[in-house]
Amino acid sequence: MDWQAILTSLPSLGDGLVATLQLCFVAALCALLWGTVLAALLMRASPFWLRVLNLYSGLTLALPLLVVIYLLYFVLPEYDITLSSPVVGVLALTLYYAPYIAQVIRSAIEALPKGQWEACRVLGLSRSEQLRDVVLPQTLPQMLSPLVGLMIGLIKDSALLSIVSVQEFMYAAKQAISDTYAPLEIYLTVALCYWLLNSAIDWLARGLESRMTRYRRATQH
Amino acid sequence: MGLDQQVVAALPELGHGLLMTLLLTVLASLVSVVMGQLGCFLQLRRAWVWRTIGRLYVSLMRGTPAIVQLFVVFFTLPRLGLGGQPMLAAVIAIGLNSGAYVAEILRVNRSLVTRGQLEAARTLGLSRFLTWWYVINPQVMRASLPMLVNEFTILLKTTPLASVVALTELTYAGQIVIARTYEATQVLLLVAAGYLLIAMPLIAAARRLEAKRRLA
Repeated sequence: MDWQAILTSLPSLGDGLVATLQLCFVAALCALLWGTVLAALLMRASPFWLRVLNLYSGLTLALPLLVVIYLLYFVLPEYDITLSSPVVGVLALTLYYAPYIAQVIRSAIEALPKGQWEACRVLGLSRSEQLRDVVLPQTLPQMLSPLVGLMIGLIKDSALLSIVSVQEFMYAAKQAISDTYAPLEIYLTVALCYWLLNSAIDWLARGLESRMTRYRRATQH
Repeated sequence: MGLDQQVVAALPELGHGLLMTLLLTVLASLVSVVMGQLGCFLQLRRAWVWRTIGRLYVSLMRGTPAIVQLFVVFFTLPRLGLGGQPMLAAVIAIGLNSGAYVAEILRVNRSLVTRGQLEAARTLGLSRFLTWWYVINPQVMRASLPMLVNEFTILLKTTPLASVVALTELTYAGQIVIARTYEATQVLLLVAAGYLLIAMPLIAAARRLEAKRRLA
């Protein structure tokens, strides 16, 4: 092991990690937003639009993310849409992850008994009150674990963006390797960082989930 | 929109890439099932050393990007005297990655095998291996099949990563053709169609198997 190579490239790797965090934060927000919109559309679309939406989510099930990234990266400029590579990255991750997110949201909401919606209406709750006081408190804990799983997937997949030269963690790693010629050491360090990051997210989500479902345990006593 | 002449001429090249992708998917799936069985077996051992190794394997594979894993394998192999073989590196890396997910699938379905069955097997004098082979594995594999097929679709979607270690599978073949013809849109759509060609039957099979399992 070439420890010196790891030590000398730590600062630049740190910058890369920060860039990955920023990129993933933006991409995750966009994906959650677009996924929520998709879920709302899926629940009330006309049969024609439902087909279109299903085709879209079917494509994300079948196509590799790398191919989607290449498509956006190479095809959009041919139609005179030139986006910078980080924007292409965020766009690719958003488009790719939103259908999965929509699926999670939709199945959690549809699992809610119909009587609850009827009860809300009888009580005269407004739409926002329904969501805030009745629907979300029950569905959020259910969505949390699959959504966090998807977010971890998004963080891992963001490493692919280095291929279209988005300057994130993997890109910084490649730079560090061309400086130090120690690929294995650098990649192992990178792997360790991703692992720690994702394990921390997983751990936090578990804590949050047990907090959110506290009321269930409280009623059991 | 017709295909460009040069792209038509490159079709055999893309076809070869498709075959390589298929080969990589099949080989990596085999590694994945073996690793999944091993990971599941280790996690369910009573001794904490084995259990920790099993859990660490699953956690590491699920917590790091597949592309990093591929690079780590690719740069480790030369130290073992197996350098310069992108196919080997890709099969090992993608197989190891997917194996962690297979281990989780198998572990969930392992609970289908009741204690009574294991006691019965022991009473009949079956060894540990024979119990696994005749009693546990057939039931677990049958119950896991829809999820496994689904996992192989996900595995297929990680195979383009092999292009970063210059394995001429479908995506890399596409890149080579693009570099020559400058017809990015046409070639990439063909590449996408190639993936759909493999993925659609897999997705359909997973759905059918799942429906069948629910009926049973």
